[in-house]
Amino acid sequence: MAKLTKKIPADVLKRRMAILPAAVVGLALAGFMQSRIDPDAKQFHVGEGGISSSAQNGLNNEFMLLPLLGFREAAAGLLWVRCDEFFHSGDYDAILPLVRLITWLDPHADNVYVTGAWHLAYNFTDSNERSDRRYIAPSQSLLVEGVENNMNIPDIKFELGWQRYDKIHDFVGAEEAFKLAESTPPDKKSEDYPYGAPLKTLHILAHTYEKQGRIPEALMEWQKAIDRSNEMLKRAPTDYSSKSLNIAEHRNYDENLQRFRNRYTATGHDAVNPSKFPEVLEPPPGSPDQTPRPWDVAFSTEVRVVRPKVFKISGNFNSQDGARIDVRITDWDYKDHAITRTLTDFSVDPSETILQDTASVRKNHFEREMDMSKDPKMYSFSQKFYKVTLSYSARTTAPHLLDRFGWNGEGMTDANKSHVVMDTRPEVAGTTYIEGQGGTPPVWDGVKLPFPYHGQPPRLIRVIYKISLDQVMNRKPITANDIVKVE
Amino acid sequence: MVAIAIARQTVREALRRRVFWIFLIVAVFLIGLGPVLGFLTPKESQTIMRSLGLAVILLAGLFITIVTCIYLIPVEIERRTIYTVLSKPVQRFEFVLGKFLGGFAIVFLSVAAMGAVFLALVYFQTTAVGPNAGVVRWLLSGKVPDDMIKGVILTFFQMMLLAALTIFFSTFATPVLNFFMSFFTFIVGNMSSVTESLTTSRNSITRFIGSVIHYMLPNFGNFNIQNAIIHPTSTISNEGIFIRNNIVYAIIYSAVLLILAVIIFDRREV
Repeated sequence: MAKLTKKIPADVLKRRMAILPAAVVGLALAGFMQSRIDPDAKQFHVGEGGISSSAQNGLNNEFMLLPLLGFREAAAGLLWVRCDEFFHSGDYDAILPLVRLITWLDPHADNVYVTGAWHLAYNFTDSNERSDRRYIAPSQSLLVEGVENNMNIPDIKFELGWQRYDKIHDFVGAEEAFKLAESTPPDKKSEDYPYGAPLKTLHILAHTYEKQGRIPEALMEWQKAIDRSNEMLKRAPTDYSSKSLNIAEHRNYDENLQRFRNRYTATGHDAVNPSKFPEVLEPPPGSPDQTPRPWDVAFSTEVRVVRPKVFKISGNFNSQDGARIDVRITDWDYKDHAITRTLTDFSVDPSETILQDTASVRKNHFEREMDMSKDPKMYSFSQKFYKVTLSYSARTTAPHLLDRFGWNGEGMTDANKSHVVMDTRPEVAGTTYIEGQGGTPPVWDGVKLPFPYHGQPPRLIRVIYKISLDQVMNRKPITANDIVKVE
Repeated sequence: MVAIAIARQTVREALRRRVFWIFLIVAVFLIGLGPVLGFLTPKESQTIMRSLGLAVILLAGLFITIVTCIYLIPVEIERRTIYTVLSKPVQRFEFVLGKFLGGFAIVFLSVAAMGAVFLALVYFQTTAVGPNAGVVRWLLSGKVPDDMIKGVILTFFQMMLLAALTIFFSTFATPVLNFFMSFFTFIVGNMSSVTESLTTSRNSITRFIGSVIHYMLPNFGNFNIQNAIIHPTSTISNEGIFIRNNIVYAIIYSAVLLILAVIIFDRREV
């Protein structure tokens, strides 16, 4: 260090006295500026945790040397390239920790959230290509985190909604996600400007309302889509894809209205249903009793174990071809996992067992073998009791069956009343279209819009078995006595 | 003015140093590699290139600033050339001010050179048409996003603050010690979210120490906004005010360091 003079010259002292207070004031001013900068600075570090946050809140600059020097996005990008290589080589397990790390390094990497979540929900399968349902909760958590870190990007919200719609059949959750996507603030740099989300968001939201039996809301959404594609056509009248979309939107709108008339009213039917009955209550053809009533599906089931951990699911379901019976085999106390905001990793509980699949109905009969013996890591069977659920919901069925059963299952029933379940959760209720089928007023007249009243609980047909590990291992048979009633 | 003449001389001296040119050339080369490394989708290519470019400007700027500024005053003292300067009617504060201005000019030149190459690459990456559509049309069809310019500007002010800090240290520390002190202060100064968390600690001593560090030490973390500007879908409210506050902060803090450097250099025996 330099030597200091012992005696300070007077003029130096004088100058120092003058400028030292200036330095103190400057330092205080700098501290004040820092306090003004701090609140706005947080926006630049969304998704990053501080020193007092847990690791679940993401990695901060301070935890890594490379990112500290500004390389975090480059590191994230290169890791994503590596991920792509793992994907193409089929090494799916290696992708998971990388996806976690990349989204921590770069919370705005929207494609990583979308692709990573898709990968989790769809690509982990058993030998028969059935998805490992245990990965759905981590996948949803990743998307929720992505949405929170990127509120101005509609794509992640769309993917969240699509997974709920397509994979989980949670139409209530799908509606929430698609509405969030639709309400994304418009971005001038986006090709959807002046809208915040692409037109397909309105389409899928309309379909989501249809799946929930809320046709008035579906019609309003189709009308919104029509208005928007009309605007697009005004700007580019010869654009073929806009024209096609506009035609399809009109067709969907008209189709929903016509289906309502066919299914729920006695008039205004088309040539497909020329009768005077609402289709959902039409008596069986040739029946001496012409009282309008729901259709008896006469659901009967048989669950057998042909070899240890190999189930044969069979039974009868009185309907046209195309119905699909949902089959779910889980631990007896299995509960769907809560969606947490962030996860430290995407590992699943190896002791959990869950299989979900469907069995097609052909000529009133369904039969399917479900082999859970080839994938011991996925189906560990480490509990004492298991639940086998066979069910049918109109919400996920094809249109030609909806013609008979109705959007809320009003048109189906079972002589064995223990098979009929009304889902009374308020959030899943559909619009009431017809009286006397368990719904509450008001009833939609097919004209009034908006019509936000949901008084019709959906009807399901369901049978649940409680079976033991011995039965799973084929040491004891499964019989009708194993059928239980579960609220 | 005398300080400007000293600044001019300081810049000339710095430009003669080989280490300055080596860092600059390597940095420009690394920035030029950006388009080569992003070979997935165009969006990923753009993200990697922009991230790499801004990171290289920051890293190279860091080393250029520290390595050139640690010698600005000590080398004059060692070579005794300072006597020639101070024997003229040059006040010590003018000498220090000249060194500060020279340091800022060096930072400006290096960041401007790297920034120009980077922004040119970004420009060509955004061209709407290829060279096949005509060279002139191709050259005029690009666009430099405002966000990238903001990133380069903030990096300049960050390096300007670092230069002021390094020159301040050089008034009493040897170059080797100064190198580590400046580097260490830069690292700590980047830990703004950590130090901010400490200011809300339940422990009063931790709170006091955290507040001293967070509000008194130069805060380089304020200028790190790469993640938000690289992803154009991030919208930041009050962005203009935030950038303005940071620039004002850098200027005020540099002025404070200049005053403290003058005070210390006044006492220093040369």
